[in-house]
Amino acid sequence: MLERRRFLPLLALAPAALFGRRAAAADPAGFVREVGDQLVAVINSSDSMASKRGQLQKIIDRNVDVDGIARFCLGRFWRTATPQQQQDYLALFHQVMVNSIAGHLGEYKGVRYTLGRVAPHDDTVWVDTTIKRPNNPDADVQWVIANANGGQKIEDLVVEGTSLRLTQRSDYASYLQHNGENVQSLIGAMQRMLARQSQG
Amino acid sequence: MHRRPFFLALLLTLPMLALLVTACAPRPPADDKEALADYKQTNDPLEPTNRFFYKVNDQLDAVTLKPAAEAYRYALPDGVRDSLHNMIINLNDPTVFFNDVVEAKPRRAGDTLMRFMINSTFGIGGFFDVAKHWGYPNHDADFGMTLGLYGVPPGPYLFIPILGPSNPRDLTGFGVDIADWPFTWLVNGTTVYALEWAYYGLTAIDTRARVLDTLDQVQKTALDPYATIRSLYRQRRESQIEAIRNDNRATVPAWFPAPAGQTN
Repeated sequence: MLERRRFLPLLALAPAALFGRRAAAADPAGFVREVGDQLVAVINSSDSMASKRGQLQKIIDRNVDVDGIARFCLGRFWRTATPQQQQDYLALFHQVMVNSIAGHLGEYKGVRYTLGRVAPHDDTVWVDTTIKRPNNPDADVQWVIANANGGQKIEDLVVEGTSLRLTQRSDYASYLQHNGENVQSLIGAMQRMLARQSQG
Repeated sequence: MHRRPFFLALLLTLPMLALLVTACAPRPPADDKEALADYKQTNDPLEPTNRFFYKVNDQLDAVTLKPAAEAYRYALPDGVRDSLHNMIINLNDPTVFFNDVVEAKPRRAGDTLMRFMINSTFGIGGFFDVAKHWGYPNHDADFGMTLGLYGVPPGPYLFIPILGPSNPRDLTGFGVDIADWPFTWLVNGTTVYALEWAYYGLTAIDTRARVLDTLDQVQKTALDPYATIRSLYRQRRESQIEAIRNDNRATVPAWFPAPAGQTN
């Protein structure tokens, strides 16, 4: 009797847990809403900039395929980089991603967004949103969602038709081209850039 | 008064000028396949010249258009700026209509025609976008996109002083759209001139004001802002052309009864 009483509530929870996970896996719009709400809540809070960055970093690391995007952005130079350089680059890229996404959502209070169409696109799903922030025209942002390792991850943001990771990749490619294709100097430039941003 | 043809001629000679003072980006050796692929994808053989003009433009912008756009955004509330923006795009609608027709997109042409009629009247000279709420949303069209839709490649990247990022295809489109804009051909007179230049000026400030934060963000986060803007421009144009290509909405509304004898 006692055994069963302890067991029953667990049994009752099991389907909820199962369906909950399945719903999350099959519902990219719900996923985007969840992540979007978290991001917007942090940006609209009255915490200090440094504290906001820390919170954004956590949300982004959890939901964005940062390592995958980082490798894509380095392109053919990923292979020529030493393991140490790869590691340094990845660590910096996680911070770059925070500034980049925060930049598109606006770093200041008053950001809102609405969800739109959801459409499959090759092996990803694109979720349309419109970002509304004060002083700026509405921006159409598509969230590119991929299923990786059983969970959903954001693979790219397409802002007004421009892919965040493609733009970042051409930025790095051009920098490397003009700096002797030296990954170490790219890492140095990323460090200086991030230091400048955390000041201002 | 021959000032307008002069203006047109100037615009069309600018790329020639650019070509004259050209310095070429070095082409990577043929055995470095990946570097060569990058070079081709970038398609920016005039890079040194383009970078020069980018720099000049950037410095000019910092003391002219940017502060003007900042003042504009500071002085006028959102609603007023939105209305001015609506007025600007309403006056440009004849050009959009021309391109919709040339693109053979009847539904888009219909939208534009309805927008122009509704917004010019009920929208009080275009200041209010009434048509948007009546089911005629705004869309982009210019002759550069029209050419792109018909398969004309953009050609090498160009950074034109004052105009900014472009390419031979879009620059040609820009010239054609000056010609297909009916207000270009209004009978000359001082008032007309003043109004037209006020329109050009306002368009420039409105456009700049709408990208203030975006460009600031690029300057702040890009290692190579020139290359980032080049990539953004290309992708944006390509996505606009794609949007036109994929807009195959039926010309007749779904609720319209099909003519007798037609079954589907």
